[in-house]
Amino acid sequence: MGYIHFENIHKDFGQNKVLKGITMDVERGHLVTLLGPSGCGKSTLLRCLAGLEEVTSGTVSLDGKDITHVNPRDRGIGMVFQQYSLFPNMSVAQNVAFGLNMKKVPKDTISRKVAEILKIVGLEDKAEQYPNQLSGGQQQRVALARAIVTEPKVLLLDEPLSAIDAKLRRNLQVEIRRIQQDFGMTTIFVTHDQDEAMVMSDVIHLFHNGLIEQSGTPTEMYTQPVSKFAASFIGNYNILSAADFQKASGEAVDCADVAIRPEIVRINLEVADESKRFHMEGEVVNSLSHGNLMRYTILCGGVEINADIMFEKSHLLEIGQKVRLSIRKTNVILLNS
Amino acid sequence: MKEKRAAPLAVMLLVMIYLLIPLAVSIVYSLFRKWTGVLPEGFRLDNYIALFTDGEFLASVGRSIAMCIVPIAATIVIVLLALFVTTIYFPKLEKYVQIICMIPYTIQGVILSVSILSLYVGSPTFLSNRLLMLMGAYCVVILPYIYQGIRNGMRAVHMPTLIEAAEMLGASKLYAFFRVVVPNILSAIIISSLLAVGIIFGDYVLIRNLAGTSAPNMQIYLYQTMKHDSTMASAVFVIIMLTTFIITLLVLLLQNKDTKRRQQQVKE
Repeated sequence: MGYIHFENIHKDFGQNKVLKGITMDVERGHLVTLLGPSGCGKSTLLRCLAGLEEVTSGTVSLDGKDITHVNPRDRGIGMVFQQYSLFPNMSVAQNVAFGLNMKKVPKDTISRKVAEILKIVGLEDKAEQYPNQLSGGQQQRVALARAIVTEPKVLLLDEPLSAIDAKLRRNLQVEIRRIQQDFGMTTIFVTHDQDEAMVMSDVIHLFHNGLIEQSGTPTEMYTQPVSKFAASFIGNYNILSAADFQKASGEAVDCADVAIRPEIVRINLEVADESKRFHMEGEVVNSLSHGNLMRYTILCGGVEINADIMFEKSHLLEIGQKVRLSIRKTNVILLNS
Repeated sequence: MKEKRAAPLAVMLLVMIYLLIPLAVSIVYSLFRKWTGVLPEGFRLDNYIALFTDGEFLASVGRSIAMCIVPIAATIVIVLLALFVTTIYFPKLEKYVQIICMIPYTIQGVILSVSILSLYVGSPTFLSNRLLMLMGAYCVVILPYIYQGIRNGMRAVHMPTLIEAAEMLGASKLYAFFRVVVPNILSAIIISSLLAVGIIFGDYVLIRNLAGTSAPNMQIYLYQTMKHDSTMASAVFVIIMLTTFIITLLVLLLQNKDTKRRQQQVKE
């Protein structure tokens, strides 16, 4: 049993069954991401762990103790919300000190700890400012400081970066990961952004319709999707039915669907051992620039295949150009569900 | 740029003149013996001296202030607690609370006072006390204004999320409500309170029917004075306006002082 253990968690909102029997473990010190589309139940599970939602059935344990019905304030869990939820009437320092005041920590210790944590999140010069005087990124760092200053057993992050612009989000992803590793804090992170999950996590749990679709490390999740949903949600897989794949490559496969990562598709590649690869003839129908990458859409036997190629000015393909695709057979993922 | 600012300034000036003319005329009328020509004649302070040395008038001022503060304070506490309970524990009941709180909008003062009298006047308990009835009636009359103001304030600060955030930091729901939510909706509370002050000070029907002349407040005093001395009535009117103004000013000053105190705490 892990440091945090969910046992057969069900959560219903009236007739709507949001969680349908989640059993999951989180190891101490790990940063675990609950990934999935909106409405899949990831935030609900987080709120069940926080105690902000009562589970319909099942048990939640933390460090070997059943906390299913323990009051949120007695669980020793810190949480950062999507909307920051800073207290507008309090300064940054007062916000951060709130949890320590609740624990009746001596005043001089509070002052020291607040100063330390604000230094860690790079906001030592903002201690006297109010939340409405801060940018979104600064507010989120205050929220993070407020959650971790009380040294909770577990830190919960409920889509904390979704309201922040892309560049700042990337910086904060790195910052959160650094702080989490420095403190060795067991952290559960909720997001619908697969790139964010890949960057930050030790383990990812992919949610779908109130159940865990797949769990694994970021690399496992990316390279070995177990279902059509996992393949479609993580990465930008080409997902073809077996019939379509046969139309494109001329070879039959024994599965329901085939998943092919765009970056393993080679264009006009001369290879020595042709038998280890699938081959397709096609025509470029679209091209999209992703900065350092070019994504080409190639129509092969009436089936569209996406291929990602590193940008190289001298090797750009034209729309309508005839090309030959080659894909290493071991890289093609056969999906049976 | 100057032209752009001139138009709104002119409009604002016109509105202010329109609003202040009755007050200005009343002040002038109360300070002079006669005003039959273009300019008033015979400056005097007799009306004000007489009023401020009249124990009956001073008592009516005191009663007016008490009849204003007690119902407003009681209604604020009731609405805050009702909204706390419905928002946090019984969100489905909120629409019913809203309907109940909006009903007084539709009740005329005469109907309300007659209903209260017919229901409570024969009661052998403390409920038959006329002042108590009046304060209860005021609580009902100002309920929609206080409710709407506080509810809007709570929605603006996302009360449930703030309480959840405070709970995760170790606070109880009630502590979080009074320590985190209430300070953030103080402006909404103050604005709806000031609106209620205006409504209570503007009432004549309820006080006339419920309290009558047994416990006259400033409005009753004004009505009685109007019958025999119009310049004195103007002086009473001016004092009513000043009292309302002072209450408003005090409330706003208290709010500012509280904000400054918090800022000072942060610096320390």
